[in-house]
Amino acid sequence: MSRRVAFRWNGRSLEGSLAIQGRRAQWTREGRTLDATVAREGAWVEVVMSEGTARCAVNAGSREVWVSCRGRTYVLERAHRTAAGPAAEASTDEIRAPMTGRVVRVDARPGARVAEGDLLLTIEAMKMEFRLTAPEDGQVDEVHCADGDQVELGQVLVRLTPASAAAPGGGAS
Amino acid sequence: MTPIRKVLVANRGEIAIRICRTLRTMEIPSVVVYSGADRGAPHVRAGDEAVLLGPAAPAESYLHVERILAAARATGADAVHPGYGFLAENAAFARACAAQGITFIGPSPESMERLGSKSAARLAAARLGVPVVPGVEDVPDAARARQEATRIGYPVLLKAASGGGGRGMRRVASDEEMEAAFESGRREAEGAFGDGRLLVEKLVHPARHVEVQILGDGRSAIALGERECSLQRRYQKLVEESPSIAVTKAIRTKLEKAAVTLACDAGYAGAGTVEFLLGPDGDVYFLEVNTRLQVEHPVTEARFGIDLVRAQIEIARGGPLPKRPEPRGHAIEVRLNAEDPYRGFIPQSGPITLLAWPAAEGLRIDAGIVEGHPVHAHYDSLLAKLIAHGRDRAEARDRLVAGLQGLALLGIRTNQGFLIDLLETEDFAAGETYTHTIEAHAWPAPDEIPDEALLAAALASEAPRAAEASGGRRDADRYSPWRLLGAWGRA
Repeated sequence: MSRRVAFRWNGRSLEGSLAIQGRRAQWTREGRTLDATVAREGAWVEVVMSEGTARCAVNAGSREVWVSCRGRTYVLERAHRTAAGPAAEASTDEIRAPMTGRVVRVDARPGARVAEGDLLLTIEAMKMEFRLTAPEDGQVDEVHCADGDQVELGQVLVRLTPASAAAPGGGAS
Repeated sequence: MTPIRKVLVANRGEIAIRICRTLRTMEIPSVVVYSGADRGAPHVRAGDEAVLLGPAAPAESYLHVERILAAARATGADAVHPGYGFLAENAAFARACAAQGITFIGPSPESMERLGSKSAARLAAARLGVPVVPGVEDVPDAARARQEATRIGYPVLLKAASGGGGRGMRRVASDEEMEAAFESGRREAEGAFGDGRLLVEKLVHPARHVEVQILGDGRSAIALGERECSLQRRYQKLVEESPSIAVTKAIRTKLEKAAVTLACDAGYAGAGTVEFLLGPDGDVYFLEVNTRLQVEHPVTEARFGIDLVRAQIEIARGGPLPKRPEPRGHAIEVRLNAEDPYRGFIPQSGPITLLAWPAAEGLRIDAGIVEGHPVHAHYDSLLAKLIAHGRDRAEARDRLVAGLQGLALLGIRTNQGFLIDLLETEDFAAGETYTHTIEAHAWPAPDEIPDEALLAAALASEAPRAAEASGGRRDADRYSPWRLLGAWGRA
């Protein structure tokens, strides 16, 4: 039995199908098929292929899946969160301060529709400016900071409702 | 001899841990200090005792002189090691230690002042016949800066008179750019060092950054070869190595002689670094002196088989300078930073959800992080240093690349993949390393993911469903020791 798996990465979608039988796994994507023997130990997935063995570390969160393979780390977004977990988890996006700093300017307005990549606000720390942008299309629900505010690391600055979660039962699949 | 019976380490992160390691081998009890944000941080466990200084902000903790001295008194520490950064080059702190009878492990406040200020050090160098980059020390305004730049010839560099790390530094190519560059450079210098004075220098191009490690005992000094640290971004070093491929025996003699002359003139006691630019024609220009242990000191340790922290402590005790060991092989260090190299090297913070270090021959790792503990935005983005030593440069590089490839770190973005790319460039292999190399290249983010990584991601992200179906928590699988595929293959 095979299952379709979809991620978003660097703004594009990556889809493939995964078939499992015992420890044998088959991954098919874009016409290529990878046959491997796999074993899992905690966060580690060992992938034994004909051309060698890769040991990958994986942390699968409800939104993102982090994979480290041969010294490179990939952050994948789950493309179908509503299908993959309880709907409550996908209800809002919280934009948190990536570091302690000062809010230079707030562009997000409550109620405004935003597209992925739209500038929400700009923070300054250590004399460098950081632009916080919308992670996906949606609507700004709440704005919790103003120009000139001092903000702490991890503080929620803006809440968004993603377009994908706005319609009740609106799973992407 | 000055007795040193207990040392307070006035720092955090990897350097605090590294200093504690030497103290342990010397059987000297250690005291570490920490801020509220660093409760449970790995450096807190590295010392024999730990003292909470105050809230997260450096001014309230690692930069708070009175609190650090109070911690020393409370624990009976009779010496302080400042590490690098924070109070390491603060002469007032060194004086405050002395006033309380506490040994500051570092140079005297007087030699710190003579060599620590770029302007003062440049004057000293010029007086001693050490070549400096043509420039003017204290430029009051943009108009004067334009005048001087025209005289020296564009392009020029604006730099902060005090402090380093590239803050306040601006490259200026023409009169038109000067006004804006001067004002922003001055603001940044003022904000970073409380001193907005700028100097104007000729831009040496293409240039390598080469520095000499020195040890002085107040009367004489020895030089321990050079480190090349040309590969930088935003004027912050990323890769350091020794020896430099571009330094010939004749150049090395010139560099070491200049460094020792400066150190002796200042009555320098302790470890220090004299930085130079190496121009395209083999000319060397004195840049500045760092009156402390450098981040990249392990490169010299690997090559000379010496413990520089031990040397610092023995000098502070009044002991003799170590004999200069013979260097062997080649050493390269990279700095693993919490930063996103594909988005302007923006610092990253957050919890480290997974961390597994590589084990490899000839590889040393100095780290300040552990799995499960967050990286804070309050502090430096340096997470760890990987230092590889080999018989030659190619072997050191191969070991370092293998080390980086064997490292797994999840939860925050780092420059790990970028460092691999950098070490694997033809330019690096050929030793074509200049201060502008990183910024002159485009460093595209990877645009493909290996299929095995996607397979692993797909496996792991599908698995929690089975856990849910059987009543488990979604994230429970992360902690389960063994999970065989059959368990979720049925889902």
